[in-house]
Amino acid sequence: MKARKVMAVAMATVMTLSLAACGGSSASSGESTQTKPAESKVEYDKNGPDGNYANIVLGETGTDISAKLKLLTHRTDMLATDYPGTNYQSYIDEFHKMYPNIEIDIEGITNYAEDALLRMQGGEWGDIMMIPAIDAEEFGNYFMPYGDLETMEGQIRFASAKQYHGTVYGIPSTGAAQGVLYNKAVFEKAGITELPKTPEDFIADLKLIKEKTDAIPLYTNYAAGWTMGAWDAYIGGTATGDSEYTNRKMLHTANPFSDPGDGSHAYNIYKVLYDAVAEGLTEDDYSTTDWEGSKGMMNRGEIGTMVLGSWAYSQMQAAGDKPEDIGYMSFPITVGGKQYASAGADYAFGINKDSSDENRMAALIFVKWMTEKSGFSYNEGGIPICASDNKYPELYAAFDGIDYVFDDPAVEGEEDLLDLLNADSELNLNNGGDKKIQEIVEHASNGDMTFDAIMEKWNAAWTEAQELNNVEITK
Amino acid sequence: MNSTSFWKSRRGRQTTVIIAFLLIPVGLLILFTYFPFLKMVQFSFYNMKYIGARKFVGLRNYRQIFQRDDIIRTLLLSLYYMVGSVVQVFLALYLATVFCFKVKFENLWKGFIFFPYLISGIAIGFIFKFFYTRGFVLDSVLMALGFKLDNLPYWLKDQAINNWSLVYSSVWRYLGSTMVLFLGAMMSVDNTLYEAAAIDGANKWDIFWHIILPSIKTIVTLNVILSITGSLSAFEPPYVITSGANGTATFFVVMNDIAHTSQKVGLASAMAVFLLTIIIIAKFLQDALFRFLFRNAGTDEKPQKKVRRAVLKRGV
Repeated sequence: MKARKVMAVAMATVMTLSLAACGGSSASSGESTQTKPAESKVEYDKNGPDGNYANIVLGETGTDISAKLKLLTHRTDMLATDYPGTNYQSYIDEFHKMYPNIEIDIEGITNYAEDALLRMQGGEWGDIMMIPAIDAEEFGNYFMPYGDLETMEGQIRFASAKQYHGTVYGIPSTGAAQGVLYNKAVFEKAGITELPKTPEDFIADLKLIKEKTDAIPLYTNYAAGWTMGAWDAYIGGTATGDSEYTNRKMLHTANPFSDPGDGSHAYNIYKVLYDAVAEGLTEDDYSTTDWEGSKGMMNRGEIGTMVLGSWAYSQMQAAGDKPEDIGYMSFPITVGGKQYASAGADYAFGINKDSSDENRMAALIFVKWMTEKSGFSYNEGGIPICASDNKYPELYAAFDGIDYVFDDPAVEGEEDLLDLLNADSELNLNNGGDKKIQEIVEHASNGDMTFDAIMEKWNAAWTEAQELNNVEITK
Repeated sequence: MNSTSFWKSRRGRQTTVIIAFLLIPVGLLILFTYFPFLKMVQFSFYNMKYIGARKFVGLRNYRQIFQRDDIIRTLLLSLYYMVGSVVQVFLALYLATVFCFKVKFENLWKGFIFFPYLISGIAIGFIFKFFYTRGFVLDSVLMALGFKLDNLPYWLKDQAINNWSLVYSSVWRYLGSTMVLFLGAMMSVDNTLYEAAAIDGANKWDIFWHIILPSIKTIVTLNVILSITGSLSAFEPPYVITSGANGTATFFVVMNDIAHTSQKVGLASAMAVFLLTIIIIAKFLQDALFRFLFRNAGTDEKPQKKVRRAVLKRGV
């Protein structure tokens, strides 16, 4: 236990040192952007906080500011002192070494996705929040701009995650590539030497696990509900290799859930789940799966694979004595002979546009510090946010040779379209649509609906939503 | 009588005090109940999310309620809970009557039956989740009794029985409170009536049918109304135990999903108004039914009314 703590501290130190370079380079790029005319229509005051993310030089800008900030976060686990990684207080202590006069009060909200929306409506929620799911056109009504998209792309990865009309309103806390968790010891015992690359390989491997080990080949985590939503994360970049698919092409695709016949696209992602359940390669009683318990089971080698985002990796490692057995691989799907992994941003920091000038400046400094100096992203096992930081964590070791796909933002005028189609079709892809995926498990288990029939139902819902919003079908 | 002297008079000061005392509770009631309710009725005519533009769509949301399979199915699903609540009322009535006569360790038994009501619904959800998990509590008890695990059903997975499993957890939770309501009413029955009945040679069934039941019929009505509205608005068992999946989504669970996941606030508001209408209709049907059932009983009500009228005449 103690050794691990020492390790963590040592790693944090190494990280901070390695990131110092990152901070330096971005400071210089910040200066260069000042001379370049910004594309955005709005001219920002050069001394104010609005739109000046790039101009902040950490350790120089605003060292005289004293402010008291309030931050709303979904990471309630990071507020606890026994959090296995670096907790929020440690980051703030580190931050105080550079900015001793900026105090930060953090409030964790357990039911964040819903409660944060209510808090936003209330108005006085504080200075910094993790931006919840709101329509892109609403960003400007609540959050301060960080800068125009072009400038910000030179500063951070995933700059387009929270942008509207070329202005960036949110800076992701960390980024992640989506894959599948697996237990290396179980794979070895089952005699699997090469990680699966296609759905057929994967199902064959699951069968091997069932034959040769006592482990559950694929644990669905059906009962928790939200854990099933993870399946949506692969239908974009991972299943198509096309960065334009999720936010642009799919919106105009007729029947996106049909079988394209080449083993790719959404159809073949969800089919893995249906087939695994139908062939008895999942747990015996899906209705009583236990999310908290599953972490320990994964760690002990009682579970072969789990389909979850990369954020789960560190939790599985921390849940038992065998962190070295936990592996992460790309989703076993191949598009035209190549494997892709869609990468995306986690919750993004947004700054309250109605806070005082001083608080907004202090908040901007803190967000930039979190991005460039804190090592937050690395500690959480994520893809670095700072554009010039190339230190990827151990987690992505098995992703060698796999192309990351960063989803492009929607074209102008269609920023809200995906949200609208999601809500109107009630499929809620990547947006809490857990029910529909649970239904796949139910139908596969009960055998009362074929997989094609389920996909047809989704297609119908999607088509209806497209008609309702007058979407032109181009494909 | 001019106005200043009215406010100084005894009646005037009484009115002032009454208004002053009422102001806060009525204000809170309006602010937190009636105003939000009116807002919700307004929202039900709009196509809207929590934030962003609202579009007036008239009755489209209400039409959708009847067009969607998932909402209609929840109404059928509440029949499970209604059956459960009937069982619950009868069982509670039976237990309360038993406790009305002499029972050994009476308070201990009452405590056992009432205890579940004191646990929070979420905790009960988690208790039952593990209770029904394959090979856990229920299965091991049954196995100790000689059943084989292979012959036992999957309590939450099998769609033929999972709703009964959830209904059972709800009955287990509310049985005690229903029973205590009955007991309270039964205790207020005049003891001399029992004695008189005993002297006249009435047996226990006669005492129950002719004395206890007519005396507590208001409470019976109340309990039935509570159970019916409760079964229409069942939320905690399916939400916590099965998260509404696997064909267990009740009206509230679907409404929660529509309101929060799909953010169709208008449709969800319309559903709430629709549910209110159903509950009001159910209430009137019940009134009619009970008036019919108790048409011969209930002679005890009239003297009470007379007394109340006398009090009113004398008072303030």
